[in-house]
Amino acid sequence: MRWWQINKRNADLERELRADLELEEEEQRERGVPPDEAVYAARRAFGNFSLIREQTHEAWGVAPIERFWQDILHAMRAARRTPLLSGIAILALAVGIGLNAGVFTLLNSLFLQPPTRRDPHSFVQVFPRYAGWFLRQDQYSSFTTEDYDAIRKRSKAFEDVAAWQVSYPTLEDGAPNVTLMATCNYFHVFGIDRPLLGRLLASSDCSRGSTVQVAVLSESTWKNELGGDSRIIGEVIHLNGSPFQVIGIVPSDAANFLPGGIFVPYTTVPLLEQGRDSLNSPDVPWLAIAGRLRPGLSRADAQAELSTIMGQQDRAYLQRQVSAFNRKSTLVVTNGSFTQNPAIRDRVFALMVLILGPLTLILLLACCNVTMLFLSRTVTRRGEIAVRLALGAGRGQLARMLLAESLITAAVGGTLSILLVYRVPLMIMNVISPRQAGNVLMIHPDWRVFCYLAVLVVMATTISSLMPIRAAWKLDLLTALKGREGSATVRSRTTSGLIIVQVALGFVLVCAAVMFARAPSLVTGMNPGFDMHHTIGVPVKVDTSAANHANARIFYSTLESRLLAIPGVQSFTYASLGLFRPVPPTEVRLPGQTAGQGKPASINNVSSSFFSTFSIPLIKGRAFNSADPNSPNADSVVVVSQAFARQFWPTDDPLGKSVVTPDNHRLTVVGVAADTQSETFSITDGPRLYTLRDPATLEGRLYVNFSGDQKAVEKAIRDTVKSLDRTQIISPETIWESLEAEAEQMRSLARIVLIMASIGLLMAVVGVYGVLSFAVGQRTREFGIKMVLGADRVAIFRSVTGQAFRNTAFGLFCGVALTEPAMWTLDRFFASALPLHGLNTFILGVSTLLLAVVSLVAAWLPALRATRVDPMQALRNE
Amino acid sequence: MTSIKEQGKQRAAVLQGTLDMLILRTLLYGPAHGHQIGKHIQRTTNDFLQMQHGSLYPALHRLEERGWVSAKWETAPDRNREFKYYRLTDKGRKQLLVEESQWKQMTEAVSRVMWPIVEEN
Repeated sequence: MRWWQINKRNADLERELRADLELEEEEQRERGVPPDEAVYAARRAFGNFSLIREQTHEAWGVAPIERFWQDILHAMRAARRTPLLSGIAILALAVGIGLNAGVFTLLNSLFLQPPTRRDPHSFVQVFPRYAGWFLRQDQYSSFTTEDYDAIRKRSKAFEDVAAWQVSYPTLEDGAPNVTLMATCNYFHVFGIDRPLLGRLLASSDCSRGSTVQVAVLSESTWKNELGGDSRIIGEVIHLNGSPFQVIGIVPSDAANFLPGGIFVPYTTVPLLEQGRDSLNSPDVPWLAIAGRLRPGLSRADAQAELSTIMGQQDRAYLQRQVSAFNRKSTLVVTNGSFTQNPAIRDRVFALMVLILGPLTLILLLACCNVTMLFLSRTVTRRGEIAVRLALGAGRGQLARMLLAESLITAAVGGTLSILLVYRVPLMIMNVISPRQAGNVLMIHPDWRVFCYLAVLVVMATTISSLMPIRAAWKLDLLTALKGREGSATVRSRTTSGLIIVQVALGFVLVCAAVMFARAPSLVTGMNPGFDMHHTIGVPVKVDTSAANHANARIFYSTLESRLLAIPGVQSFTYASLGLFRPVPPTEVRLPGQTAGQGKPASINNVSSSFFSTFSIPLIKGRAFNSADPNSPNADSVVVVSQAFARQFWPTDDPLGKSVVTPDNHRLTVVGVAADTQSETFSITDGPRLYTLRDPATLEGRLYVNFSGDQKAVEKAIRDTVKSLDRTQIISPETIWESLEAEAEQMRSLARIVLIMASIGLLMAVVGVYGVLSFAVGQRTREFGIKMVLGADRVAIFRSVTGQAFRNTAFGLFCGVALTEPAMWTLDRFFASALPLHGLNTFILGVSTLLLAVVSLVAAWLPALRATRVDPMQALRNE
Repeated sequence: MTSIKEQGKQRAAVLQGTLDMLILRTLLYGPAHGHQIGKHIQRTTNDFLQMQHGSLYPALHRLEERGWVSAKWETAPDRNREFKYYRLTDKGRKQLLVEESQWKQMTEAVSRVMWPIVEEN
């Protein structure tokens, strides 16, 4: 017996019972009972008709499903009777669920799904990790050209293997563009077979020994950067000044996301990477690898086979004695999604938790609102519920009934939210980065999204029905049946709990919003201890390998003299440490200490003009001067930061003291420089040592100090570099400008967080208002009696706002307890990327104030209404 | 509403075994519809067993579910109307034997306790 045949079975049973009943009737008549009495006699003999029917249904084993269906029908009728209430509940849940699922759709496409859309099961990406090799030891790395060739030639598990490397060359005279230097089967392996226009890369474009300068553009790059003219096929574009002929356009919807905007053959790497010929270097790992499995083979097979091949490669390197001589590889084989990428997996998960966490809070707030609505409905229906209980309905049945109502609301809300699921991802992408939005056009909700949606609906159903069920269970039958409405109240603990939860959740969201909203101004408004406005970074990239060393030396010395000739340029310097990125500390010792006894410090290898170029004041002693020895073999002088001095010589004068660097140079301190905030935003750097750079090494980043018109100087620097080497197309920026660009990105992120937090706050306010209105409505009689007994309106007002105030305060306290761990996570994973540091008093203060004000405003109206209670009216209702 | 369910369960627990057996035994004479089965049991026991329709029909449907009886709409020979006739299946016949022997064991056991045979030495 299947449950969907129930109607047929029912009709059959009905017919059977009817036939037998009629027979009974006939028999009664034959026995001599008068016809009109025979009907009743037959019915008496037969028993309760519907009872028999129900008992037979039990025998079929479908009764639970039937009862569930009845509950659903009942819930639908109940929802129709209160359309406004149901509408609000559905809307709240639709927004709560929709935002969650929408953002999850985006994350799903970006992080959880493999990049390819065609047959993702056979797609494999491989991550190697090397031990015993000084290059990138124990980090997930990439493959050398020889590794790639070996895998391609020897692998039986793969049908095809592609490799690529990302580069950031300048397109024409504009900004750096994400470019993939890929093998020519790249598109095939990623399941992209059809170009939008022209053709994709062909194997002849990638033959070794020749450099075919062709490029395939992504649809969004073509439209946004190059005007979207279809006559572009055959035209020439310039990447880092080298000409590339456009041969095709790849459509945006070809893959889940395109990792780059321009695709060129990987043989062109020397053109894009300033002559660094990774392709022909036997021991430079540079290629990422992905492949397609042969039918019937699994990733485990591929892993086993690749491990063997890489083992052979390791042995080959050992014999050849190149720099990779002691390499030992291990491999991780994945489906190509970000969440499986071993190098960034943890950060991706942390990011997802951080993004989805606040959204879950919004959903919880929506659930609180719905709970409140249902609770009030349960209370107004307590008469009906009491009658049900009195007639023998079980508690379980009652719970099922209320659960069905929540389920209906959540299910309808969830269905509506699918609209948002399709809209939200693109909206968010457009706010964050309109240029990137084109690359992830194809955001499709898949089974993961719908599972997530289902989980959310179930969660919302359960949470929002808990309180009403509890209220119905606690119902005092006697008073409810007597119709003494006033005494059947919801406990004030329930309403207090709801207020506390909503204030706490609102607080967390507001904290996040305040934090993100403040981040951009923190970035641009900070004082890092050096001059950001008159220091320009000159990001030249020069091949300084031994083969090209002489050329590079000439390039740099010419560049230096020409830079100084630019009007306005005052000085230049090199520094080994970049700005605003984490610096791994090294061990610095005092004389006499052995390795392991020293303390951690960062070492910045700088030119003698460093302090004047960056305008970092010297607190004590002197800066470097040209007389200081800078050859690597001589023991020289050193400048330390204030923090360093405090750390190493808390009481003594640091001048004249000595320190020992990890390479065993003994250096004498000649000066103490002021502390800076150059590693992490708004955080003073730890101990720092400034050593003098040997100009012969050609290492470090170049910075220029100028006065006068910034734009003119920037343009002059750009032209100077280009005139020296036409492949070097750079966009020099002051440090402040580059921060400003970063702040702009942060602002768009902040906008999203702000919108979400506003929605959350709105829900919290409406929620608090709803709870208090409900509580006031419940206590009307109490207020009436109080007034009759002599309480004035102020006392009533105080008693309502007092409850609200206490609950808000407690809610804020809980909010702080919730926020603290979230902040900790944020700090741990993203401190270097964003200027967000813990829960400081500013964020705490602003959020607390905002929520306190808002929830008191929400309490105002209900409290006012409480004072307007007419004692006579309230008591007459009794 | 749960009370209905519980009652049904209780009655089934007490009567189920015997009622099934009685129905199966009745059908041994030939196919019959629900009303006939009920009447037959009632009449045979001289109205001692009052046949509750509330247990008869669930029992019939349960037996059909288990495949011990099969049901078919047929015209009654004496009346010009269709009734749902139940007939014993082979499986039902075997089940009847099982239930019969179980019932015999049961009554023997009960009677040994109730009326012990005093052994005379």
